Amino acid sequence: MASDTQKLNSSYQTHKTHRESFFTRNLGRIILYLLLIIGAALALLPFYWMITTSLMTLGETINRKWLPAVPQFVNYVNAWNEADFAKYFLNSVIITFTTIIGILVTSILAGYAFGRIKFFGRDVIFAILLSTLMIPESITLLPNLMLIRGNIFPLPGGSWMNTLQGLTVPFMANAFSIFLLRQFFAQIPHELWDAARIDGSGHFRFLLQIVIPISKAAIMTVLLFAFTGSWNAFAWPLLVTTRNTWRPIMVGLWTFVSEAGPETNLLMAGAVISLLPILVIYFITQKQFTEGIATTGLKG
Amino acid sequence: MAAETIKKKTPGYSAKRRLLKENLTAYLFILPAFLVIGVFGLFPIGYSIYMSLYQWRVRQGDFIGLENYSKIIGDWTGLLTFVAGIGLLIAAYFIWNNAAKSVSKTKMAFKLVAAIVLIASGVIISMGWGKMIASGDKNFLNSLIITLFYALGSVPLQLILALILAYILFQNIKGKEVFRMIFFLPYVTPVVTTAVVFRIIFSPRETSLANILIGKLGIAPLKWLFEPKAITELLFGLKNLNGLLAGPSLALVTIILFGVWTFVGYNTVIFLAGLGGISKDVYEAAEIDGANSFDLFRFVTVPLLSPITFYLFLISFIGTFKAFNHIYVMKVPNAQKTVVTASVQIFQTFYTENNFSAAATEAIILFLIILGLTFAQNKILGERVFYG
Repeated sequence: MASDTQKLNSSYQTHKTHRESFFTRNLGRIILYLLLIIGAALALLPFYWMITTSLMTLGETINRKWLPAVPQFVNYVNAWNEADFAKYFLNSVIITFTTIIGILVTSILAGYAFGRIKFFGRDVIFAILLSTLMIPESITLLPNLMLIRGNIFPLPGGSWMNTLQGLTVPFMANAFSIFLLRQFFAQIPHELWDAARIDGSGHFRFLLQIVIPISKAAIMTVLLFAFTGSWNAFAWPLLVTTRNTWRPIMVGLWTFVSEAGPETNLLMAGAVISLLPILVIYFITQKQFTEGIATTGLKG
Repeated sequence: MAAETIKKKTPGYSAKRRLLKENLTAYLFILPAFLVIGVFGLFPIGYSIYMSLYQWRVRQGDFIGLENYSKIIGDWTGLLTFVAGIGLLIAAYFIWNNAAKSVSKTKMAFKLVAAIVLIASGVIISMGWGKMIASGDKNFLNSLIITLFYALGSVPLQLILALILAYILFQNIKGKEVFRMIFFLPYVTPVVTTAVVFRIIFSPRETSLANILIGKLGIAPLKWLFEPKAITELLFGLKNLNGLLAGPSLALVTIILFGVWTFVGYNTVIFLAGLGGISKDVYEAAEIDGANSFDLFRFVTVPLLSPITFYLFLISFIGTFKAFNHIYVMKVPNAQKTVVTASVQIFQTFYTENNFSAAATEAIILFLIILGLTFAQNKILGERVFYG
């Protein structure tokens, strides 16, 4: 009996020391993983809070617990129908789509000209365009608002307030996209252009048939930036949409915060709806998304 | 296009023609982009300068020259003193740099001179600033201080955290991709959405997430975004400090936390790219010399990453001067002016106060500051190529 316990003890002992040595040997790694997990938890906590709140009853949002008793999916239906998020969402889709088309057309053409054609004043014009990257939006907002209202010179079709063109045209070109495409287009081997020219192709046909198909990666990066930039736009649409005719979802979310009362659950459902398209795109194109940002070093 | 297939008759004439055609094609190609950027990107700067010279409340009034600027700056000699102080600060930086290069005997002397110049510049800057704030536009000048608080509060913290995370992820970590994706998530998510979520999380309610978490540490609920009191007062009970010394309000600190939460992942990704660029040989050599993993981090990784750290610091710093959306969304009336950064102040000046000329003037001043910072960024980055 005594020897039995001793045996048990000793086996427990060896087991324990073995475990300890494993633990101490990997202490460094364990701390590293612990730090990463804490970091990940902090990064995800606001998302957890948003999603759980969006599934609670109004009473539960005031007396918060960690999880809703019964998930209230009806909140999403209410946010979508009654809080106008369906309208805002559709507006955002149309605005984003229109802006992306504009950005792609302007920046592919300009990127090609700057990257592949030698013309008078090229570098000066390019430098002037690039200088706009330094200008923060808060500085251009007021003059642009006056422009859109038609205060400075008359616009085709009168005031552009509360219109699709007022929301999209100012964003239909940016120096960053042109810069990105110029860098890419300039690297295309010159032999391709020589061959195309011998075949009788001009710049426009060469651009359409050769350059665009082989530049899909760069164009995709521009498209991703254009998409997130347009979907996330806030200050400008806040100024331009005084009615909800063309109000995009970010401004809709803000109006819900400032005008609706304590319906936190509906607000959070709206928040989830507002970020879904971005997250879907992010998960689909994750690698390109992250690397696009890492290589271009863009910061918003 | 078809014209190009028709071959040359006289070479000189045709070459000229082709050159002209190339030029025309190029101008046609850049025209749409140039129109949009010219009208909505460049023209506003010129028009803001124009507006800033007039009296302009919704409608254009009389030409008043630089009076709008005088109203904001208050005392021009104050501004001159302030700028001279900044000049001295830059001089201190150059003397310090010289010290690093010189031999050990003169090194101490140089460093001493640099320190004295640094202190002098601090005194002169605060003198000039005091003069300006005494007679200038307190709202806008204070908004610059708040912007500075926001920048200095969020940028160093996010860089340190990002460097640590990137260094850990660079070790052979299982699930590295998943962690990177999670850390990057806050940056990808629309900023208005996350700012709205932070409004809920940091609400003054006792059951808000922030209050639940500090409650677990035994701290009484705080008002967070609704709290205009400075953290020096909340932490240490210092009531009589004002201006710069009081430090940011708790509401601003909450916005700083948001900035850190959002941008850590972005900086981590850039740091990771930089870590990939450091040659393995350097680490191996250091290991042979008996460096442990902390030494490797402190004496190999940190110095070799310093160009990237510098780059990130400067673009983040400039970014905080441009930041608008999340601050505007998280700003509640109870926090008063303690969260109004320069860009938010400009917005309010024309949006709620309808004072167009003042807003344009403030915008031009902010633009000049950003221009100066960008210039400094290029200058410093141009000099510091490697090894900090």
